[in-house]
Amino acid sequence: MKKKILIFPIILFLLILLAFFYLLIIDRNPSELPSVLINKKVPEFEAKSLLENKNFISPDEFRNETTLVNFFATWCKPCFDEHRYLKKLSNEKGLTIIGINYKDDSKRAFKWLKKLGNPYSNVLLDPNARLGIDWGVYGLPETFIVNSNGVIKYRLVGPITKKNYDAFVLKVKEVEK
Amino acid sequence: MQKILLAILVYLMTSQIVTINCYSVEPDEFLQNPKKELRVRNISKNVRCLVCQNQSIDESSAPLAKDLRILIRKKIEHGNSDEEIYNFLAERYGDFILLNPPFKISTLFLWILPFVFLAIGISVIFLHNNKSRKLDYNK
Repeated sequence: MKKKILIFPIILFLLILLAFFYLLIIDRNPSELPSVLINKKVPEFEAKSLLENKNFISPDEFRNETTLVNFFATWCKPCFDEHRYLKKLSNEKGLTIIGINYKDDSKRAFKWLKKLGNPYSNVLLDPNARLGIDWGVYGLPETFIVNSNGVIKYRLVGPITKKNYDAFVLKVKEVEK
Repeated sequence: MQKILLAILVYLMTSQIVTINCYSVEPDEFLQNPKKELRVRNISKNVRCLVCQNQSIDESSAPLAKDLRILIRKKIEHGNSDEEIYNFLAERYGDFILLNPPFKISTLFLWILPFVFLAIGISVIFLHNNKSRKLDYNK
């Protein structure tokens, strides 16, 4: 009986060790956070547009088709790398891409889009990160997939790359199902 | 042995000094009203910086931490309560942003498990002692 009790903490210890070891070897990024906005309506806000004279009003302008909301800035190198994939995505049918120019100089953003091409149907200005905070953004770039009911279905932290492009397109198609 | 203890003591003291000095709040952020400023500082100490995840936004010099500090100051000036500010942040960034996790069903294990383990530990020691005492009597 005494030996049985003594073996219990050892088993418990090994189980905990196993759990830690599992977390150590699985493919995950411990600094990546799940968004709490998933399956919630898009935040309400009004923002100035870089290209139009009219303010963008959320959530009213989200209820037509699947929309990507991409936070970007000209000072963000991964955003530059991601740009070509956003352009590729802008050719997809039934998909709108809205860019949010985060803590940036609007003139610089204008030049940047002129040079690289513009995948966005609208570019909103967020000079003081107020929109970013409403969307729970903590590192650029971040891309949200919003379905035609104005509900956020997915968030990608970090750039769209060659590696994750196909999986991302699949996610985009899934949100209307 | 004494030297080792002294070295540990010196290390602990100096590391303490370093942590005291590394607040990142910049002078231009301060509010005029010292009472309100104190409230802001207290809230900032309980809010996690999501860029450097083991620091509070009070200690972090990341741009996001600064934006959040300024936002908290604006909210305090608007007359929001501490509770409202914590809720505002948790609604956007999740409970992870709070350095003090709230007591909820999803965090139940987090709060209760240490006490469960403590109870198991104490009972194991108690049972073990009881048994060896009985064995002593039997001798």
